[in-house]
Amino acid sequence: MELTDADLVARVLADDDQHAFGELVRRHQSSVRGLLRQLTRTDIALADDLAQEAFLRAYKNLRSFRGEARFSTWLYRIAYNCFREDARRRKELVGVDEKQWQAEHDPQTVDPALRHDLMHALSLLPLQERTAIVLCCQNGLSHDEAARVLDIPLGTVKTNVLRGREKLKRTLAAWAPN
Amino acid sequence: MIDDDTLDQQLREAVPYINDDGFTTRVIASLPAVRHEPRWLRAMIVVGLALLGSGVAYVIGGGHVVREGIMEFANFPIWLLLVFAFGCGLVVGAFAVIFAIRKTPEVRDLTRLDF
Repeated sequence: MELTDADLVARVLADDDQHAFGELVRRHQSSVRGLLRQLTRTDIALADDLAQEAFLRAYKNLRSFRGEARFSTWLYRIAYNCFREDARRRKELVGVDEKQWQAEHDPQTVDPALRHDLMHALSLLPLQERTAIVLCCQNGLSHDEAARVLDIPLGTVKTNVLRGREKLKRTLAAWAPN
Repeated sequence: MIDDDTLDQQLREAVPYINDDGFTTRVIASLPAVRHEPRWLRAMIVVGLALLGSGVAYVIGGGHVVREGIMEFANFPIWLLLVFAFGCGLVVGAFAVIFAIRKTPEVRDLTRLDF
């Protein structure tokens, strides 16, 4: 019988069972690292450092996980906060840098393969829309869960997902071969 | 233009599973070390405090309280003493079972009891 995330969390809390926490890390490392890679625009080293920091914080603050949301949602929130704090330090959340980054990456020069195009189109989205798309469309979070992760109103998440989707569709339509 | 479902599906499929490649090991290695107090030390503290408390109670009561209590107890009917002993056994047994379940993860996960 495979233990649920809640069972593993209970083990960590009751017995300081680091093996149980290791199992939680193993289960969620791919999605957390994937999320952070999207947020950091495929800076793999930075994303993995942030993911490690996120799991460390999760371990230290596990008692504050009350089980109201899924463990993965709680984890995404911590990961997103790690990213945001790091981005603040690096001044990457300033709009000027966003625009500069987009200007430096011309969509016409990318690999025509669909996956590559899609990921590139995703990386061109503004941070808020990109994050909402990654959480809701790629990781399967509901709008409500994404709102909790990002600590923003539900309506804003819906708007960001909608806008992001429209931009992706437009971009992919333009790149699609005739 | 592609529809929402297709786009979502393509987005999900575009994200490959990231192999662990030692990531979990690095995370575990970075966790703070678990501090386990020696169990015998805990037990000694509890027993020591209990003995100290009993001693203080005996001294403050002058000793006659304990003697009178035992004498009074001896005068109880035998059936009442048996009921009292049985009740004490039940209470101690219940606490022992709860403690054992809490300390045994396999049983706790199986029963899903949350004490």
